Amino acid sequence: MKKDSLIYTVTFSFIITFIFVFILAVAYEGTAERVKKHQKISEAKAYLSASGIKLNPDEDPQVKFSEIFGGDFKDKEVLTAKINNENIFLSRISGKGLWGTISGVIAVNSSIDKIIGIEITSHSETPGLGGRIEESWFLNQFRDEKVPANISIIMGTGRGDTVSDNGLVDGITGATRTSESVENIINKKLLQLRNLKRRGEI
Amino acid sequence: MNTAKNLAKENIWNNNPVFVQILGICSTLAVTNNLTNTFIMTVSVTFVTAFSNLSVSILKNYIPRKVRMIMQTLIIAFFVIIVDIMLRAYLPDISKSLGPYVGLIITNCIIMGRAEAFAQSNPPLISFWDGITSGVGYMWVLMIIAFFRELLGFGTLFGLKILSSEFTPWTIMVMAPSAFFILGILIWIVKTNMMRQDEKKEIPAKQTN
Repeated sequence: MKKDSLIYTVTFSFIITFIFVFILAVAYEGTAERVKKHQKISEAKAYLSASGIKLNPDEDPQVKFSEIFGGDFKDKEVLTAKINNENIFLSRISGKGLWGTISGVIAVNSSIDKIIGIEITSHSETPGLGGRIEESWFLNQFRDEKVPANISIIMGTGRGDTVSDNGLVDGITGATRTSESVENIINKKLLQLRNLKRRGEI
Repeated sequence: MNTAKNLAKENIWNNNPVFVQILGICSTLAVTNNLTNTFIMTVSVTFVTAFSNLSVSILKNYIPRKVRMIMQTLIIAFFVIIVDIMLRAYLPDISKSLGPYVGLIITNCIIMGRAEAFAQSNPPLISFWDGITSGVGYMWVLMIIAFFRELLGFGTLFGLKILSSEFTPWTIMVMAPSAFFILGILIWIVKTNMMRQDEKKEIPAKQTN
């Protein structure tokens, strides 16, 4: 068969693509279990860190998670827990960022007027700009932040907002859209939680 | 044996992919603010370059010319995804901090460049060697940049505190512009050196004339 003929080209491309993709599929399946395990651990860590619980390096995050939240991960919309004699609600947050979905966890107090903490578990924002939403200086601004109404992300001094009773936190320079997205995602979640609470469902 | 040695010298020094061919600059700027990430990244690039060169070289006689580039891209993408899967499974922390950059190895010009310029017209083993040495040429330049950026930007090396806490970190070093400065200075130093060596070689040659 001639190497430049159409049939050869198509057949060759098909076979090569098939072989490579097949190997990839095998590799993916072979490691899926391991990847899932890592995801569970990092999710447990996110829940714990959003609730403000510090882990000792030798503690297993999953064990600690079951101690506090009881059992394994549930598909429940809202988790409840009692930490330092205070009831808190935890819920996953997720919404549209600039490039893709931003997902994370939020912890609030039982009257839903104070954020205990937030944690970002996955995002695809621009590295170095929007990607900084997962850095601790940004997330720490939400720690014990009082939110009588909504949270607002504003332009600050560039050092992060340390006042925690005004519902204001600093956004990220050069990542206005991402900052707005985070603001929307949190406010939507607060509204949803408040509605659930008013209806007595949580 | 001699060609292998010469090839290594070419790829690591005389024709270095980063400071002579100015390839792979995007990742040079992006991942060099900490040594651990840079190391994993450059090892991955070396791995991908070596194996894509090997595969392209083995398959080169069977690949129709029309779909040559697409096949090269497919092979490169294949190895990059393998690296991504392995990092995700065995080094989840590094995979998280490298994030999208692992996938972007596909677009690193060094890999495609070597596949097209070398592997396409050379036997498999020497192509594999060419991939490794090109990767090493890329690695040592990035490691030098990362050394200065991490030391001055965070005061650490491989995450270990080196400078005392009284040292004020240079925030600029953490951000991409600093890589431009350091790369520029590095190219300057290396090129000056190369030119001086060339001059030395030329002068005795002229005298014999």
